[in-house]
Amino acid sequence: MATALRSRTKPKIKPPRQLAPEFSSEETWTQLATNIREIQNQNARNLSFEENHRFGYNLVLYRHGEMLYNGLKGLIMENLDTLANEQITPVFPNSGGQDLMQGSQEAELLCKAVTKVHEDHCSNMVKLGQILKYMDRVYTNSAAVPGTWELGRILFREHIMLDSIRTHVINAILNQIRFEREGYVVNRSAIKGSVEVFTGLDSEDGKSTLYELYLEPAIITESESYYKAEGEKLLQLSDASAFLQRVEERYQSEDSRAHHYLSSVTASPLRAILKEHLLSPHIQTVILLPNSGLDVMIDSQKMEDLSRLYHLYSGVPTGLPCLKRALRESILQRGREINRLSVVVDEVDEDRGGGENEEGNSKRKGKIAKIKSANTGASQWVQNVLDLKDKFDTIWKHCWQSDRELESTLDEAYSSFVNMNDKAPEFISLFIDDHLRRGLKGKTDTEVDAVLDKTIIVFRFISEKDIFERYYKNHLAKRLLHNRSVSDDAERGMLAKLKVECGFQFTQKLEGMFHDMKLSDEHMGHYRTYLGRLQSSPPELELSVTIMTATFWPMSQAPPSCRLPPLMTQACNSYQRFYNTRHSGRRLTWLASLGNADVKVRFKSRQHELNVSTYALVILLLFQNLGDGETLSYSDIKEATGIDDLELRRQLQSIACGKYKVLKKHPPGREVKDSDVFHFNEGFQSDLHKIKIAVVSAKVESGEERKETRDRVDEERKHQTDACVVRIMKDRKHMSHNDLINEVTRQLASRFQPEPFNIKKRIENLIEREYLERCDDRKSYNYLA
Amino acid sequence: MSSNKLPNAPETSNEAKDTDWVRVTSADGFAFLIRRKIANVSGTMRSMLDTQSNYAEAVSSTCPVEQRGIIVEKMLEYMSFRAHYEGVGSKEEVLIHEITERIPPEIVLELLLAADYQEGALNHTSLSTIPNVL
Repeated sequence: MATALRSRTKPKIKPPRQLAPEFSSEETWTQLATNIREIQNQNARNLSFEENHRFGYNLVLYRHGEMLYNGLKGLIMENLDTLANEQITPVFPNSGGQDLMQGSQEAELLCKAVTKVHEDHCSNMVKLGQILKYMDRVYTNSAAVPGTWELGRILFREHIMLDSIRTHVINAILNQIRFEREGYVVNRSAIKGSVEVFTGLDSEDGKSTLYELYLEPAIITESESYYKAEGEKLLQLSDASAFLQRVEERYQSEDSRAHHYLSSVTASPLRAILKEHLLSPHIQTVILLPNSGLDVMIDSQKMEDLSRLYHLYSGVPTGLPCLKRALRESILQRGREINRLSVVVDEVDEDRGGGENEEGNSKRKGKIAKIKSANTGASQWVQNVLDLKDKFDTIWKHCWQSDRELESTLDEAYSSFVNMNDKAPEFISLFIDDHLRRGLKGKTDTEVDAVLDKTIIVFRFISEKDIFERYYKNHLAKRLLHNRSVSDDAERGMLAKLKVECGFQFTQKLEGMFHDMKLSDEHMGHYRTYLGRLQSSPPELELSVTIMTATFWPMSQAPPSCRLPPLMTQACNSYQRFYNTRHSGRRLTWLASLGNADVKVRFKSRQHELNVSTYALVILLLFQNLGDGETLSYSDIKEATGIDDLELRRQLQSIACGKYKVLKKHPPGREVKDSDVFHFNEGFQSDLHKIKIAVVSAKVESGEERKETRDRVDEERKHQTDACVVRIMKDRKHMSHNDLINEVTRQLASRFQPEPFNIKKRIENLIEREYLERCDDRKSYNYLA
Repeated sequence: MSSNKLPNAPETSNEAKDTDWVRVTSADGFAFLIRRKIANVSGTMRSMLDTQSNYAEAVSSTCPVEQRGIIVEKMLEYMSFRAHYEGVGSKEEVLIHEITERIPPEIVLELLLAADYQEGALNHTSLSTIPNVL
């Protein structure tokens, strides 16, 4: 290559000019050292870069790199020691921390000094690095020593960050942090500078920074003990809301502290400390603080505090469970209060009722009050529950970001206290009854609809839905029969809602009732045309008949018998004949106890139109043909009508002892006794032309009635359990006992909470009836087709 | 040769703009005016002009180069060439022969020395092609 080149090349390449013919390493170094000292004294602007760069260049070029390097090292060390002695040592704190202000000022001074020294050192090292760049390029790599910049850092660590100085600096920083935590203003930039000294330097093994090695652990230990004490202190000095506020402030201030002058890496350990030492140990105490805890916040609707509470508590692992516990407690307690109130109302009623029994007369107001309060007791209860739920829902939505976990806690709590009140299903049904009955509240349709929507929510909490169904059926039947429901649409709307909640089966019978009502109307139309076409004269009284399919309606199957007067029997027979022409093979049973009648009665002063129950009409008709002054005794009436005691007493009470006394009773009094005698009250007076008597209004059941309902429900449950077991077994053919119980429980849960014991009894019963057989392993069953 | 960047050492301070004019003088009295951006191609010149450290050269915005004028001229030519191509996409072809053809062989060694001193003013790949050109 070289020969080939030479043969071709004409121009001669001249050797480069000799730059510094006479070169003395000592002399060059002396000059350079002087200049380096000048640089260290911040006098760079008077020096020629080119000159010093050339010194370094030459020293390296003439193989004096080692001398240059060691000389530089010596100069840096010398400079650092001077700086330490002149600027740092004199400002070591010496007050011993007695005076807070003085201690803080001293700490700030030290921080400033360290920052300044570090800054100066760094700027020196940059400048030196620039003029000695040739050395860094050529010498340090081959000699395997750290470059100028790195050398500067190492020497700084070894000469400034000594134990003796470092401890002081760390203490100063801690002092400043504590000072700021106490609420004073500190010089953040001074702290930041000295913290940066730590973050900028590596430890000897190069794996971590000095910050991680020394400063961070110190800060963390200090913070831990500080916040432990702070937590105790806060708890003693402030109430829950203030406590939470302070904690939140601490969160923010620590966060800003970490980001402003500590390392952002420290933010999360600091937060953890706050959670662990400031908040966690006290969550339970704070939430239960008697005069400012969760309950009080909820009572006084402190939305801000509540959302803060949620925000803070959701941050610590034990927080939410604690909040949930407290919440459940709070709701249960409120729920119990609501339940207790309704019971109190009831008891007052019963006391009052008892009192009447003994005192007899002059307690009409008491009677009215009783009916009223019983009904309001039920409505009040539902209303209270709704209010309670509204209250908590608002909080949940606004303060707790609609947290799903809390929602389930809330629901659980609602349903447990709702089910604690065993009258809940009845109350809810009554409440609905109240709102669906015509013209009672003067509310618009939309209002009623909204109320019913809410009621459905309460209904959802009930576990014994079948009981509710029974009551609802009763109430609905009364509304339909007495034509009292506000509108067909509203009723159907409610049914649709129930259907959505509980499915088709739940509302099947209820819908059947509606269907019956419709059919009855049609039948009446046909009946009228039938009467028109009939040759013989129609019955003397106008008849309106509602045909009820026996299985749909909750009325008892065997009606209390009643001897109807011939006039009425005739009308009945007429309809029955008509009905049989349309539907052969159907049996009509007359339920006079559910009917009512309009009757015109002539009194002395004027004629009134009375609306009374069918039974009352039967009784009144007995008096039709009696002369003045003639009387009928209780036993006469009983014999003539054949109405049973309980019912007869009630009917007599309503026409002889109520607001409108169509009959007069001897002796007067509220209770009807066997020895009482009645006569027609000719002197009856009233301003109204049309009078409605004996409103049998739906009201809370008495103990006995309740027991009866309960028994009926239990009976029905037995059938449902049977059906359910058979249904499951028919599908599976073979099943273990436990699986079967679980499946039955699951399927029935939408209607009520079955007891395993009861299921077991039903299974045994089914085995007896040979639907099932027990397998040999005694743990499972086979289905027998 | 790429220049080693020092940590924390700012390359240009706020006051020093790339479009500033700086003066480069040669040992035999020539002076050249170039943009600071071009001067910054040389690591040595950049340090020299660093307003942060503020050496005498930075104060006067003058870089003395202890070389003959012809060497300084060629060196600045190359630096302009390099500054021109710096930062262009990899697709564009760098017409390296445009600069290698314009270096007279007589001064190659001297130029090489100067470049070494100026730290990366000429890179070795471009110089190593010169003998072949000759």
